[in-house]
Amino acid sequence: MPFALLLRLAVIALTLLAARRAAVARFTAFLGSAAASIVTVTTAATVLRTGSSVHGVLFVHGASQFSLSYAVDGLSAFFLLVLAALAVPIALYSIGYVGHPHFSRRSAFIGAAFNALVGAVELVFTAGDAITFLFAWELMTLATAALVATEHEERTSRRAAYLYLVMSHVGTGCLIAGFLVLAAGPGSLSFATLLSGHIAPGPLRDGLFALFFLGFGVKAGVIPLHVWLPEAHPAAPTSISAFMSGVLIKTGIYGIVRVCAFGLGAPSLFWGVLVVALGGLSAVLGVLYALMQHDLKRLLAYHSIENIGIILLGLGAGMMGLAYGRGDVASIGVAASLYHVLNHAVFKGLLFLGAGNVVLATGTRQIEQFGGLLRRMPWTGLFFLIGAMAISGLPPLNGFASEWLTFQAFLYGFRGAPEPLVHFLFPLGGALLALTTALAAACFVKAFGISFLALPRSRAAAEAHEAPAVMLAPQAWLAALCVGLGVFPGVVLRALNGVLTSLPGLHPSLDLASGSLGMTSGLSAFDHVVPLMLAAALVGGLAVAGALAAYGARAFPLSRKLRRTAEALAEAGQPIGAGSPERLALRRARVRRVPTWGCGGELTARTEYTATAFSKPLMMIFHAVYRPTRQVDALAEVSPYFPQEVRYRAEIEPTFERYVYGPLLRVVLRVATGLKVLQAGSLHAYLAYVIVLVVGLVLFVWWRS
Amino acid sequence: MSTIDALIAIGLAVLQAAGLLAAAPLLKTTIKKMKARLQNRQGPPWRQGYYDLAKLLSKEPVRSADASWIYVAGPRVYFAAAVAATLLVPVLLAAAPLEAAGGILLLVGTLAVGRFALAVAALDTGSPFGGMGASRDMTIAALAEPALMLCLLTSALAAGSLNLGVLVRDLLQQGPSFHPSDMLALAGLFIIIIAETGRIPVDNPATHLELTMIHEAMVLEYAGPDLALVESASALKELLYLTLLVDLFIPAGIATSATPGAIVVGLVAWAGKIFLLAVAITLAESTNAKLRLFRVPELVSVSLGLAFLALAIRFL
Repeated sequence: MPFALLLRLAVIALTLLAARRAAVARFTAFLGSAAASIVTVTTAATVLRTGSSVHGVLFVHGASQFSLSYAVDGLSAFFLLVLAALAVPIALYSIGYVGHPHFSRRSAFIGAAFNALVGAVELVFTAGDAITFLFAWELMTLATAALVATEHEERTSRRAAYLYLVMSHVGTGCLIAGFLVLAAGPGSLSFATLLSGHIAPGPLRDGLFALFFLGFGVKAGVIPLHVWLPEAHPAAPTSISAFMSGVLIKTGIYGIVRVCAFGLGAPSLFWGVLVVALGGLSAVLGVLYALMQHDLKRLLAYHSIENIGIILLGLGAGMMGLAYGRGDVASIGVAASLYHVLNHAVFKGLLFLGAGNVVLATGTRQIEQFGGLLRRMPWTGLFFLIGAMAISGLPPLNGFASEWLTFQAFLYGFRGAPEPLVHFLFPLGGALLALTTALAAACFVKAFGISFLALPRSRAAAEAHEAPAVMLAPQAWLAALCVGLGVFPGVVLRALNGVLTSLPGLHPSLDLASGSLGMTSGLSAFDHVVPLMLAAALVGGLAVAGALAAYGARAFPLSRKLRRTAEALAEAGQPIGAGSPERLALRRARVRRVPTWGCGGELTARTEYTATAFSKPLMMIFHAVYRPTRQVDALAEVSPYFPQEVRYRAEIEPTFERYVYGPLLRVVLRVATGLKVLQAGSLHAYLAYVIVLVVGLVLFVWWRS
Repeated sequence: MSTIDALIAIGLAVLQAAGLLAAAPLLKTTIKKMKARLQNRQGPPWRQGYYDLAKLLSKEPVRSADASWIYVAGPRVYFAAAVAATLLVPVLLAAAPLEAAGGILLLVGTLAVGRFALAVAALDTGSPFGGMGASRDMTIAALAEPALMLCLLTSALAAGSLNLGVLVRDLLQQGPSFHPSDMLALAGLFIIIIAETGRIPVDNPATHLELTMIHEAMVLEYAGPDLALVESASALKELLYLTLLVDLFIPAGIATSATPGAIVVGLVAWAGKIFLLAVAITLAESTNAKLRLFRVPELVSVSLGLAFLALAIRFL
C-alpha cells in the first residue's frame, strides 16, 4: 500500500516536471496511474483471497507518537477492486481524451490532479484511523473541485466547483464532528477502536448516525443532498465525470457501510427504515429527473443519483435485517448493495466514456443535436448500447444480477420481519425498485435511440468521427465486464462472501453463489437465477428468429388464397414468382431499401421524434413531481392566424433547489450578515477575542480542577 | 444434472417453444372471431392468423434506407426474448423446461429485454410514428411494472418460492384456495396483462389511427418477414401472459407426471382455461371504450392498489 502511494507521488512529480511537453506529461501521468492502480489491485486481491487483512503505518512523528495508519480489510479490498476496475480503463482512455486539442494544453494539470484524486480515494478506502481518513477525504474533495473547474473560463464550471466545495465541506464538517464525538470516549483515533460499536444505543448514537449519514450522504449524492452532483458531473472533463460517477460517489457509500451500518453497533430499526426511504426517494426521483434531461452528461449524472438509491435500498434492507437480528437476511441486502456498487461503477463508467466520445466528436452535450451517430461511430454506439442495457437492469447483463439480489433482500425481509407494519416497507421498496428499473429503461431507450439512431439532427452529428482505438479499447473492456459480471454472478458473490464474513453481525449463507454461473438467495430454495442459461436460450431464440425470417415461408403450404393473390399480381405485371416456396425464398434474399414514409411530407431531421417529445407522456403523468411550466409564443406580424415563428419553452421546477436550498441559503446569508458585527475586519477586535477566549479557558480549567 | 437430463430438458424446451409458437396465432384469431360474433359479424376464418404469417413471411423484406442494424436486430431480439420467456413457464407439465435458469424475476426481465429492443428499433427509421409508439409503450410499461411485480410476488410469496415450476407444484399440493387475496391479485394481474398486451382499453390492436395507436405505431415501419417476427412474438407474449395467470391462480389439471394420459388431460385443461380467459378478454374489449393515454395511469394504479390490498390481506 505505501508503495502504491509513493509510486503515485512519483508519477505526480514526474508529470509536473514534464508539464511543458503535453504529450510526455499525459503518457507519464496516465500510464503511471494505471500502473499504480495495478499495484493496489494486487494488495486487494491478496486480502480478498486469503481473508486476512493487511495493515501498517504510513508515517510516524517521533516526538508526539502521532501516526497515520492504513488497514486493508475485506470491505476496503472490495472497494479498491471497484476503484481499479474503473481507474485503469479511465486512465487509458484519458491518454486519448486529454490529447484532444481542447484539453491538450492542460495535460499536466489534469494528469497530476487525476493521480492525486485516485491516490486520495485509495487512501480513503484504506485509512486505518480518523485523521488519515479525514486527510484523504479532504484531499479527494480538493482534487475533485480542481478537476471540476478544469475549464475555469466557463462560469458554469466555476459555479459547479464552488457548489461542490461548499456542499462537501458541510459534509466534512459533519464527519469531523462525528469522529470527535466518537473519539471522546476511548481517546484513540484508530478505526479499530472508534468503530467497534462502543456507544450504547440511545439519542447520542442516533445523533451520531445522523451526523455521519449527512456527511457521507452529501458525497454519495443522496436526495435531498444531491444538488451539487448534476452540476459538477457535467462540468468536469468526461473521463473525470466517469470517475466521479463510478468511484468518487462510492466513497460516500463506503463511509455509510463502514460507519453507519457496521461501525456504530447493531443498527436500530429506524436507521434501516430511514436508509430504505431515502434510497427509494433517490432512486425514483433520480430517474424521474434524468428522464427530463436533454444534456447527455446531466442525464447520466441523475442516473448516478438513481443508482445510489438502488444501492441504499439494498443496504437499508440489510440494516433492517441486522436490526431484527437476522444476519442471514442482512447479508443478502448488503451483498446486493455491494454488488451494485461494482456494477454501477462498470456500466456508468462505460456510459460516461461513450458520452465522452460523442461530446468530443460533436462538440455538444445536447441529445437533441445528435442523431444517426451509430453510422458514424459504430463501436461507440455498440458499447453505449451495452451500457444502456446493463443500467436498465436487463438480463443477462450485470445490472440485472444486482437488482435481482436486491429484490431477494426485500422478499426475505418481508418474510422474516416480525413487525407487521414495518415489514410492508419491503414490498413497497420492491415496487419502487421495479418502477425505477422500468423508468431507467425508458430513459435509455431515449438516450440511445435519439442520440445514435435515425437521421443526424445537426451538422456536427452528420460529420462526427469515430474515436481512436486508445479510447475505444477501455470501453470494450468495460462492456465485456458488463456481460461477464452479469453472466457469472457466482464469481462476484464468492469474492463478496469474504467481505461479508468480515463484517460484524452478518452470517452469509454459504450457497449464496451456486457454482460460478448462478446465484441463489441463499436460504432454502426460494429463488435462484443462472443468467448463462438465459443467455443460451436468447441465442437459441435469435437463431430461430433468423431461420424463420429466412426460410419460414417454406413451412407454410401456400394457401389457395395467397396463390390467387400472387397470380393476380403476376398478371398485373408485378415481378413476383409463381409462388413456389423455393423461388420466394430466393427472391427474399434481396432486401429492398426504401426511404422512410414521411406521412406524405418530406422526412427530415426536423420531423423526427425528439427527446423532449419522447419523455413528454411521463412529464404529464408525473406532473405533480415535475410541476412543469411551458410557454408558447406565436410571433406574428400581420395576423395572429399566420404566425411567422413559434417559440416553445418548457421547463420543470427545480423543487429541491427552490424550496429546500433557497430558504436555507437565505437563512445562512441572514446569519452571516448578523455575524458581521463580530467579524468586521478589525485586527484589534480579533486580538481581543483571542485574549477573552484564552482567559476564559484558563478560568474554566482552573475552576474544573 | 446428467447429460440425459439435460437432453430431455432441451427436448422439452424445444417442444414447448414450438408448440406455443404454433398455438399463439390461434389465440389472436379466436379473440378476433369472438369479438366479431359479438358485433354480429362473421369474423375471420380460424386459420387467418397462419395465413397472415405465411403472407408476411413470403414477402420480400423492405427496410428503411435510414435505418441501421438496430432496425434488423429489434424484431429478432423481441422474438428471441419471447421464446426464451416461454421456457420459464410451466404449460402442460408442472415444470418449466428452463426452470433451472430462474423464476418470476427472470421472466419479467426477459420480457423487458424484448420490449427494450423493439422500442429502440422503432426509433431507428426516423419516422415520428416509431418514436411516438416507443415513447408510449415504454411509458405504459414503466407504470405497469411495479403493479405486475407486486401481483406476481403476492402469489409467489404465498407459495413460498419465486420459481414457477416449484410454485405450481406447491400450489397443486396446497389445493385450490379461494383466499380473497388471490382474487384481488388475479384481478390486478388481469388489468396488467391487458395493458402489457396492448388490448382495449389501453391500446387498440385493430386500429392504425395516428393519435391513439401505441404498439402498432411502434412497428408501423416494419414489413415482410420482420413484421412476421414481431406479430408472432406479440401473439406468443399474449399467450404466455395468459398461461402465467393460469399457472398462478388456477393450476388444477396440469400434468404432474410425464405420462401420456396426464399430458392429454393437461393439454385439455390448459386449452380450456386459456379459452375462458380469451372470452374474458373479448368481453373486456367489447364492453369498454379505449381510454385516453393519460387515463391509463389511473387504470394501472387500480391494479397497484389491488396488489397492495392482496398483500395486506394475506400477510397482515
